[in-house]
Amino acid sequence: MLVVSNIDLTINLPIVTPSKFLESSIKDFTLNINNDYRYLKTGYYVSLHAEVLGNRVIPSSQDVIDAYKTPILLLRASKAEIPTMPYLVTGSVKHIMLEFGFPVVIFPVNPFSYEGFRIAGNRSALYRAIKSLSMNYKFTVCAQPLKGEMFTCKSIFGRTSFGGNIQWLSEKVYDLFKIPICKLHIQRLKSEVYLCGIEPAKKEEIIREDLKEISQAILRFSGDGENLVG
Amino acid sequence: MANIACFVEKYNFTDPRETAALEKFKTAAERLQHKFNFMFRESLSEIPKYDAVFIRATTDPLYTAYVVSKTAWELGLKVVDDPKSIQICGNKIHLYELFQKHGVSHIPTIFLYKDELHHKKVLEIFRTFGRPIVMKAPYTSFSKYVEKVACETSFRDVAKRFFRKSDVLVVQKFMPTAFDWRVGVLNGEVLYVCKYMVPKGRWKHGAKRKGKPSFVWGRTVTLKRENAPAKLKETALKACSIIGSGLYGVDIKETNGDYVVVEVNDNPSIYAGYEDFRDRDIYDKVITYLVN
Repeated sequence: MLVVSNIDLTINLPIVTPSKFLESSIKDFTLNINNDYRYLKTGYYVSLHAEVLGNRVIPSSQDVIDAYKTPILLLRASKAEIPTMPYLVTGSVKHIMLEFGFPVVIFPVNPFSYEGFRIAGNRSALYRAIKSLSMNYKFTVCAQPLKGEMFTCKSIFGRTSFGGNIQWLSEKVYDLFKIPICKLHIQRLKSEVYLCGIEPAKKEEIIREDLKEISQAILRFSGDGENLVG
Repeated sequence: MANIACFVEKYNFTDPRETAALEKFKTAAERLQHKFNFMFRESLSEIPKYDAVFIRATTDPLYTAYVVSKTAWELGLKVVDDPKSIQICGNKIHLYELFQKHGVSHIPTIFLYKDELHHKKVLEIFRTFGRPIVMKAPYTSFSKYVEKVACETSFRDVAKRFFRKSDVLVVQKFMPTAFDWRVGVLNGEVLYVCKYMVPKGRWKHGAKRKGKPSFVWGRTVTLKRENAPAKLKETALKACSIIGSGLYGVDIKETNGDYVVVEVNDNPSIYAGYEDFRDRDIYDKVITYLVN
């Protein structure tokens, strides 16, 4: 197993840096540990390079593209029976109002914005959110009805620091997309949870406990890597 | 009878030659007894109503067109361009890595990583490829984000600009030619062949006018597909075979009787009176592919 990481890990296993791996032609199952797998960023290229070499890799480049594209994330999640809210891809305020009313949560679907969401509780807030997230109506946005409260948590190989249904949801999302490090945007409604979006974690957000979790996950892979590759 | 959605954006109707081509697709579909509707971004929730989706808006894994393609694909619809083709052709790093792996003859290429932008590396590149070299952002399309650089200062300027969006860039040997071949390929067969001429005093088919936002484009000279050189067609088909079986436009340079692939584009331009000038059946062929 080959571990490629841009994060300083605490384990006693050989780790290859992304730049070294990208110039290599090492053929082995590749575990790509990166805080940011966004398309066109180094984390994405590591997975892509591993795939071109014929390596099995976690995460796959396809899953990375899909997970960070909110409408595709929701479509694939709902097909896998992960709870999601209905969504609409549009650039039209009227369309969102007719479909969902208020409040709504708006995610960007453009090449430049990748973090966060906006909540709009009325028409003027919705206009502002769409104008900003669609980059002056050049791109579309993804709207979902807001029925509960939004909640964001880190997911490290599907583990979170929360128990219960948040942990359950995080594991389901990891099983589907296999993204080792990310942040999940979740909507909580009484005892129910709904996946709303995913975004990359910032390097400074990865704390000591997360490093421990990552190291343990790597050890699990190195012990039984073949069986853990989905 | 199939129900086909053609995903377009408003800009697809700004050039009358493209508008005419879109109308020809519609006419061909209707003549073949199929329904053909233009679908804009406001109607994406209607995708499940269709049997096939034909994307004419600019594709890129970060654009709405990818959402359309992937949604249609996940719902089991026939889609051109399919998400895998968009993923590969939309990123030249991906494309050239596959060319290298599968031995597709292409322009000498190296990749430049963000942490490699230093004096020694720049000199090494100039030593390898000579001056000038061509630098491409991975997301280049319509001749944009492709620049020629001849000195270290402009190398650094262009690289820094392209590195804002991508952590890896393409650097290629400069191979000036009077034209690039464009071979349209559909489902592993040649659809049309043309020469995209380079405008006088320029080095690529589409070049930005100095001090203006507009582009100057070279002429398009179209050949009947059976009259195009066999080796050219073979090179184009080999390049497409590693990507998929959709609709592609392969750019090829001819030097000393050899053919080298510049790139394979998904979502190739089709303008009425240009790509279809010699082979008028391209519209029927695309529609037939979509519904079969």
